[in-house]
Amino acid sequence: MKTKFQWNTLFLGVIVLVLAVFPFVSDSRTWTILLTQIFIFSILAMSYDILLGYTGIVSFGHAMFFGMGAYTTAVMLKRMEPSIGVFILSIVCGMLIAALVSFFIGLLTLRLKSHFFAMLTLAVSGLFLVLAEKWRTVTQGNDGFTFKAPEFFKDRMMFYFVTLICLVLVYLLLRRFVNSPFGRVLVAVRENEQRTRSLGFNTLHYKVIASVVAGVIASLAGSLYAVSLRFVNTSVLTMDITLDALLMTIIGGVGTLIGPIVGAGVIELTQHYLSGLAKDYPIFERWIIFFGIVYILAVIFFPRGIVGTVREKLWKRKTKTRPVGKGEVS
Amino acid sequence: MELLINLTVNGLATGMLIFLLASGLTLIFGLMSVLNFAHGGLFAWGAYSGVWFYTLSGSFVIGIIGAIITGIILGFITEKLIITPVYGNHVQQILITLGFMLVLTELLKVVWGPNQMAAKVPSYLAGSWEFGDVLIIKYRLFIIIVGFLVFGVFQYMLQKTKIGLIVRAGVMDKDMVQALGINIKRVFLYVFMAGSALAALSGVLMAPYSGVIYAEMGFEFAILAFIVVVIGGMGSFPGSLFAAILVGLAGSYMAYYVPALSLAVNMMLMAIVLIFRPQGLFTAKG
Repeated sequence: MKTKFQWNTLFLGVIVLVLAVFPFVSDSRTWTILLTQIFIFSILAMSYDILLGYTGIVSFGHAMFFGMGAYTTAVMLKRMEPSIGVFILSIVCGMLIAALVSFFIGLLTLRLKSHFFAMLTLAVSGLFLVLAEKWRTVTQGNDGFTFKAPEFFKDRMMFYFVTLICLVLVYLLLRRFVNSPFGRVLVAVRENEQRTRSLGFNTLHYKVIASVVAGVIASLAGSLYAVSLRFVNTSVLTMDITLDALLMTIIGGVGTLIGPIVGAGVIELTQHYLSGLAKDYPIFERWIIFFGIVYILAVIFFPRGIVGTVREKLWKRKTKTRPVGKGEVS
Repeated sequence: MELLINLTVNGLATGMLIFLLASGLTLIFGLMSVLNFAHGGLFAWGAYSGVWFYTLSGSFVIGIIGAIITGIILGFITEKLIITPVYGNHVQQILITLGFMLVLTELLKVVWGPNQMAAKVPSYLAGSWEFGDVLIIKYRLFIIIVGFLVFGVFQYMLQKTKIGLIVRAGVMDKDMVQALGINIKRVFLYVFMAGSALAALSGVLMAPYSGVIYAEMGFEFAILAFIVVVIGGMGSFPGSLFAAILVGLAGSYMAYYVPALSLAVNMMLMAIVLIFRPQGLFTAKG
């Protein structure tokens, strides 16, 4: 196991290196923006996976934390000066707000069963959406508002690196988190909450902290997203964001941290490619159907997603004593 | 006074539409413990297919029948394709039905285009009656009557017929019903199809009420239906009627008196119920 772990790390290191060198090699603006987008959604999807994959909680309200981050950053950059200091401050503020809100919502709702929790989060995030629509003096509702990004980010490449660094940091942090004794308890809650409770763990306490961590990271993703667009409107709070995170997590692989990143990449790239095709074939304007179908098939046949399935196969191959003449695993 | 009556009629009509949607949801949940997040999709399909049949034939009755048949067929497909493979796993059920909701909504746009469709009230239900100062719009009264009729029919079937007996017994204890030699899987299918038909009926009645239909209406209404199911108690048929009327009236009064809160009031109702009485106002027994 020890060697495999190091191989993984090496592999990831190489990928990060390639991504870091990428903007120097290619000066394609489209790709830089697309990759930035992928990094941001990877962060969001990873935070979602803390809930879905590790703790086994289905939340339909993840967009509200994303939206909180996005709005905090946008409003602060607009009202105060567009500088790096304010940007960092706004990220911290967004995280604090998200932490507070997720703490209280978690405390109230996480004691409910999965069905009720899913519905209640749906309702609460709906409430935040309505709030943002109505509080026009600050949010300007659905019309949204543009704002100036810090001078430092005028160069797309700088922002690319910032999001890449954020992604790597969040990944390392979350890996540390899920491999800690605390993370093990979360997995135990997913597997069998009643038994975990009877072993003497206060599961509510663990679930609330998991939801706070997920909320805080989602808020970071939201802040980055707002800066990447230099524009914010109520669409950051809609169900679509939650659905994106859900699709990325499920298709990439629940219960792994790499999975959501892979899922974010796959979905953003396919979406980009399919909407390119839509010019010739109008059916591709409804690309979400394809994702929906893939997603349903994934839930039925590959509940572990891309990464989980590949990992399982690799693991099976390794544990087999005799080599079997089956097809190679890519 | 006339204002109060008008608001009440409004609220009742909306409440009845939500009831039709929520009653199917609550029956399905009570019997199969499946929370069908695709229910709103069936609702929107009912609305679109109903309006399509209606404009094609020129008869609203045929529109309603067409919508109900569409609902039944879709319910059959959903149960066989989507619900059966993940039966018993709650997290997967939530995820898969939500995915199916996405597919249903997008398919609507493929079949009928992404634009809104207009729906008119049939001539014999258009207009209103005047009683002194009170103005009662015919179509709203029609919805209320249909709602109570459906409630009566289903309540009769649940309480007085053999299939109703099986369903009620199934809500209490599925394994026992199965052990007594009844094919509970088939009962699941029937109940699911009935629930889908109710959702489709609600959709087609909604269309002339709101005047326009659009693909996302399914999602918006499904949220209301979830709220109603939670408030009324999952699996309780009378509970969903009571809660739907409550939500409808609250929405209608709030929209007039405190417009800013009209959308939030339902969420608040649900949050309060969930925190203090998580099993809902009515519990499903018998």
